[in-house]
Amino acid sequence: MWGTPDGHATNQVLTFVASPAKSPPKTHIPPPKSASMPYLYNTPEDVAEMLTAIGAKSIDELFEMVPEDLRFKRPLNLPAAQGEMELEGTLRAMAARSTGVGTKVCFLGGGAYDHFIPAVIDTVAGRSEFYTSYTPYQPEVSQGNLQAMFEFQSLMTRITGLDVSNSSLYDGGSAAAEGVLMALHGSSRDGRVVVAESVHPEYRSAIATYLANLGVEIVTVPTPGGVVDVKQLAAEITPQTACVVLQQPNFFGCLEDADAICQAAHDAGALVVAAFDPISTGILKRPGDYGADIAIAEGQNLGSPLAYGGPYLGIIACRESLVRRMPGRIVGRTTDRRGKPCYTLTLQTREQHIRREKATSNVCSNQALFALRATVYLSLLGPQGLRDTAELCLQKSRYLADELAATDRFELAFDAPTFKEFVVRDREGKVDELIAHGLTAGMLIGVPLGNWYPDLADCLLIAVTEKRTRAELDALVKCLTAKPARTREKPLAATR
Amino acid sequence: MRNTRDTKSLFELSKPGRRATLLPKCDVPARPLGSLLPASVLADLPPQLPELSEPAVVRHFVNLSTQNMSVDTHFYPLGSCTMKHNPKRNERAAAMPGFGDVHPYAPEAAIQGLLELLYDMQQYLSEISGLPACSLHPAAGAHGELAALLVAAAYFRDRGEKRTKVLAPDSAHGTNPASAAMAGFDTVTVKTLKTGAVDLDDFRAKLDDNIAVFMITNPNTVGIFEPSMKIIADEVHARGGLIYLDGANMNAILGVARPGDFGADMQHYNPHKTFSGPHGGGGPGAGPICVTEALAPYLPMPIVRKSSSGQFSLDFSMPKSIGHLRAFFGNTGVLVRAYTYIRAHGPDGLRRVSEHAVLNANYLLSKIKHFLPVPQGERCMHEFVASGADLKATKGVSAMDLAKRLLDYGFHAPTVYFPLTVKEAIMIEPTESESKETLDAFAEVLFRITEEDPELLHEAPHSTPISRPNEVQAAREPVLSWKS
Repeated sequence: MWGTPDGHATNQVLTFVASPAKSPPKTHIPPPKSASMPYLYNTPEDVAEMLTAIGAKSIDELFEMVPEDLRFKRPLNLPAAQGEMELEGTLRAMAARSTGVGTKVCFLGGGAYDHFIPAVIDTVAGRSEFYTSYTPYQPEVSQGNLQAMFEFQSLMTRITGLDVSNSSLYDGGSAAAEGVLMALHGSSRDGRVVVAESVHPEYRSAIATYLANLGVEIVTVPTPGGVVDVKQLAAEITPQTACVVLQQPNFFGCLEDADAICQAAHDAGALVVAAFDPISTGILKRPGDYGADIAIAEGQNLGSPLAYGGPYLGIIACRESLVRRMPGRIVGRTTDRRGKPCYTLTLQTREQHIRREKATSNVCSNQALFALRATVYLSLLGPQGLRDTAELCLQKSRYLADELAATDRFELAFDAPTFKEFVVRDREGKVDELIAHGLTAGMLIGVPLGNWYPDLADCLLIAVTEKRTRAELDALVKCLTAKPARTREKPLAATR
Repeated sequence: MRNTRDTKSLFELSKPGRRATLLPKCDVPARPLGSLLPASVLADLPPQLPELSEPAVVRHFVNLSTQNMSVDTHFYPLGSCTMKHNPKRNERAAAMPGFGDVHPYAPEAAIQGLLELLYDMQQYLSEISGLPACSLHPAAGAHGELAALLVAAAYFRDRGEKRTKVLAPDSAHGTNPASAAMAGFDTVTVKTLKTGAVDLDDFRAKLDDNIAVFMITNPNTVGIFEPSMKIIADEVHARGGLIYLDGANMNAILGVARPGDFGADMQHYNPHKTFSGPHGGGGPGAGPICVTEALAPYLPMPIVRKSSSGQFSLDFSMPKSIGHLRAFFGNTGVLVRAYTYIRAHGPDGLRRVSEHAVLNANYLLSKIKHFLPVPQGERCMHEFVASGADLKATKGVSAMDLAKRLLDYGFHAPTVYFPLTVKEAIMIEPTESESKETLDAFAEVLFRITEEDPELLHEAPHSTPISRPNEVQAAREPVLSWKS
């Protein structure tokens, strides 16, 4: 930062004219009235010297290649610049009118979860050398990123039980769409994709959006009982079906008979794309164990903040035979010219910057920093920590499910066993009222399902992570079964 | 100080019995797993993750970080990537409670402040682009390209038109034809001239009534403002086609020219470039798109709306929308950083950003053109592309050799071998947040390197932890995960 404290002196000369000008600077922008140049170095003297070296009279002259009639003739209609202190105040005032899981007890899930984030992750991801670098086009000065990505890929093969992982995609939803594209490209059967209705509705929407112009039929298999009816699904798998898409545990938190679904798909010659919850692999079979060919996941729950939907982490892994169809960046281990082991981007002939319209995907930027967070998270947890986390989620969510089901007002919507979230039906059908009441009581009680599943308009999807204490679970039951107060209730004290 | 002992693989550092995390005791009555879940879904063992202590994890990753160059530590003139300063106030903003800790399905009533920020962001991006409708949903620039092309496809389908052709210049980013293919279009490449401008004869030869979209990067990838922009837009529109503006190079024209004013119907932004979100070692980015009123009904969902009473809500009732391209709202954390950047600059400040980005690029061009030809000419916008073709012919030194040797001198390399239209391309984008001293030093070092012994350059870099990975071996016998 430079210039006078309020920036006046420096800002006024930024449309500098190389030699002292007799007429005012040739610009339609009036001299700024407040500080607005916090990240520049060039002083008026620098600007003068640079213009002389260029052979230009003014900065305006440098824009002469923009045709006059295409230029923007007025100042942008944006709020005036604010200095750091003032702006922080503005932002904090907005943030104060928004509440997150730091101040409310969170039972929301549906693909994004309030798991604990160890401090080490912020320390590592806050290293400038990680977060202010870019795609490792120059491996000699990017070994840190490359090795971390290689370690991420290695960890992903271990939690998926599959052979190969890439170094990340955008999020679970786009990873689902890329997984389906991979299956379509990897097979001569490109006419149909069969998707279980118990797959995350926004993942299904993303798949439909990606396939909109590719002439592929998407068949959605209904799951009124909360899980796939394997016979019904098998009947939809035609000889032109490239893949079956399932989610385990599914969007409702229920466990599918994944072995049987994979068996049915493979018997009919289709591939299986499985969405999974990385945390669940602490106790549940991995996609590769039950027979999936391509596994995709949302990796937010591996140490990334909720951040209203992103940035998150798309995970994708596959069997060896499909590796050349994999989208996105992949890091490989090799040796350098002196024979030293090292890491580099590899199999790049799949990618857009080489193959252009024939690339496996258009992915360029990915979520490297969030893959790093997941790598640190799993390094900290280790096998026992992951198992303990998964088991706490299971025990606590099942405790809460049973407690709610024991009340007069609620029943479980489905019979199938669940992992860390479950669907309850409000016999009074007043879901919106309950949500508003919960908010007043300091709780985000669950995700309403009516917009996606009209039959479940009286239902809530409730998620329980290892962070929830028994006191919070009991408080939720009490809150949901209390008679709605006529007057505004006093919020419960924050329990954390 | 580099420590290589702790940068051994995580799997080599692992020792059974070590752990860095202690979970609390289960405070609800714990039941046997077998009574809660069927045996068929249970794993025999948890995944084989490495077992490490907390200090081991910290030391490992912190030491790995020291093997990277980054914007905070080095000049990083990677062309087309806009590696500008990443303001720390942006990071603080994104982490604020109320922004950073909000669940994507939080009730709208609980998050009015955040929705207001996102609503404002839609407005700001529309104002800067001159295109009235905005979606913040896409996760990256290429994702925004795909979103916009799907919007175009839906628009034509709605009008009962079957158009299959996308035109893109040969200098376009690889993502352009790749996105077009994913959206179901056939890409036809239009030639560019030596100056970097679109070859109008070739353009007209390939333009017909089958045109859906012309994808143009402007300023283009050689760093010039397309001189025929108006002609191209008018002729594409006359055929009923649409103009897509690849917004990768918006850093050159903030407040100077608006895509909506110079003929674009759609554009994406790269907030992680133009609006200073960090690049994260490869991501995350975000890829918001802006479009004309005619295309607005087809935008991906959801859009933030403001009611007459000042309430903010998400609009999911858009029957013509192309739908989701991902789960949840968007890459909100990146958008909050970009919002902070825009608010730190205001209208005048954003224009100054572009002025100084262009000044810095032209200054560097004026120094470098004396020893490395710049085929596009004497002036540029925010970046320029020098050619190492002469050097290759006379001394056998390649653009890659120059790039690698720059690393020895403590500079990140420019983008090399892109665009494909320039031989031995060296694409340099200094950005506005660099000093004259840095630019002088970079130009001087680059000149010195062109005078060095070619043998020294072929084997460069010499001072980095590793040098020239065997990429052929890496691709031929891929080792893509740790096998213990």
